[in-house]
Amino acid sequence: MISVEHLCKNFGKLKVLKDITERIKPGEKVVIIGPSGSGKSTLLRCLNLLETPTSGRIFINGEEITDPKHDVNLMRQQMGMVFQHFNLFPHYSVMGNITLAPMKLKKMSQAEAEDLGMHLLEKVGLTDKAQEYPGRLSGGQKQRVAIARALAMNPSIMLFDEPTSALDPEMVGEVLKVMADLAAEGMTMLLVSHEMAFAREVADRVFFMDSGVILEQGTPDEVFNNPQEQRTKDFLFRVKEKI
Amino acid sequence: MNHLSLGEAITEFYLDFKAKFELCFIDDNRFVDYMLSGLGNTLKITFFALIIGVVVGVVLALIRVTYAKNAHNMRRGAGKFFLGFFNAIAKIYITVIRGIPVVVQLMIWFFIILVSWTDGVMVAIIAFGVNSSAYVAEIFRAGIMSVDGGQMEAGRSLGFGYISTMRYIILPQAFKNVLPAICNEFITLLKETAVVGYIAVTDLTKGAYIISGRTFEPFLPLIGAALIYLVMVMILSWIFGRLERRLRASDQR
Repeated sequence: MISVEHLCKNFGKLKVLKDITERIKPGEKVVIIGPSGSGKSTLLRCLNLLETPTSGRIFINGEEITDPKHDVNLMRQQMGMVFQHFNLFPHYSVMGNITLAPMKLKKMSQAEAEDLGMHLLEKVGLTDKAQEYPGRLSGGQKQRVAIARALAMNPSIMLFDEPTSALDPEMVGEVLKVMADLAAEGMTMLLVSHEMAFAREVADRVFFMDSGVILEQGTPDEVFNNPQEQRTKDFLFRVKEKI
Repeated sequence: MNHLSLGEAITEFYLDFKAKFELCFIDDNRFVDYMLSGLGNTLKITFFALIIGVVVGVVLALIRVTYAKNAHNMRRGAGKFFLGFFNAIAKIYITVIRGIPVVVQLMIWFFIILVSWTDGVMVAIIAFGVNSSAYVAEIFRAGIMSVDGGQMEAGRSLGFGYISTMRYIILPQAFKNVLPAICNEFITLLKETAVVGYIAVTDLTKGAYIISGRTFEPFLPLIGAALIYLVMVMILSWIFGRLERRLRASDQR
């Protein structure tokens, strides 16, 4: 489903990703952990070309998206993305945030799009907030709306870039629950996160990234309980209280 | 020396005022012929210059912002070349226009560039439109830059192209942010048109000036013109105030 070959990304002289080659199967849930600056978010953002790779190739569903002739916008419709800072559109209501893309990009009628919107809001437990503006929502509610918005384009892959890092602790649970439901439905998910407990529960595989490479990977049990690399051990030791 | 009672003084003042008022505004239909028709020209020039200013200004702002945010990671090729080219043109345009007094620009348009045009109002519309566009461009550039970068990323990640993201997501927010500054620019434009007398267009100011010349009574025509400008600016501010309140509906917390 996702195939990355020799992916490199430099920011100026800084090598953020160093020759990453990896495959992710349909329906797989991958959690990427690692210290800050290790390239986790950059890897995720390269997958839908929010960052342009310096070199290497990326295939999504068999199509090479790094080919300059490939339609980036069409590819992005198949990949939902959820951001650390939500990035909801403040000038649209919750419903407007969700229906904008299906109406403009899929030419859905307003009634159709709002049916879909209601269905998605039900999924994230926010039907009562449909007409509210994002400014009036809590962080957890915003992030759940952001997930619903990403799902509105019916993507086959969901990318989560530290979706709970900007939330107050008591709101993390509600967002993780929505994500767990999504995982249970079989969505292919890539998640950059520090939520070790969630990773343990939901992930099929855990990547530990350090200095631009996937230093170690395996099932949550392998990585968390029996890490092979010293740097993985150090990192897990430092975040131990979260496991 | 005769001492007037208060009542007589008021009566005298009233009669004097009435006579001057009639002389300045009523006789020879002066108010309608000079000030009202002048006001018509003022409004015409302001309105069309405003449209030119906003359209050209937004285009310039988009070129500048697109260049500033994308040029560094674009592939070498025609796209990058043209964007760089248009960005340079936009920068020069803004520098030149902002660097020259509007009344000088007006005369350059009238006496040099558009010398074959006979309609001074049309020339004034072009001159003020072009002048305003440079300021509007910078206002909108600031407005677009002030929208959080995450908004562009969110739009693009949903599958919107760069232009659609600008249109549906960035520009509406930028527009709301720049409303006070744009209102300011419109007010400035309205009042700046008072110099069109330099190219023989009779606007509100010139109309008042003509009347004071004919009647040797400068007080009433000039104060009258001043009041009309003031009222127009107040109306403009009021309209923008309402617009701002309406667009702020989504800001409620």
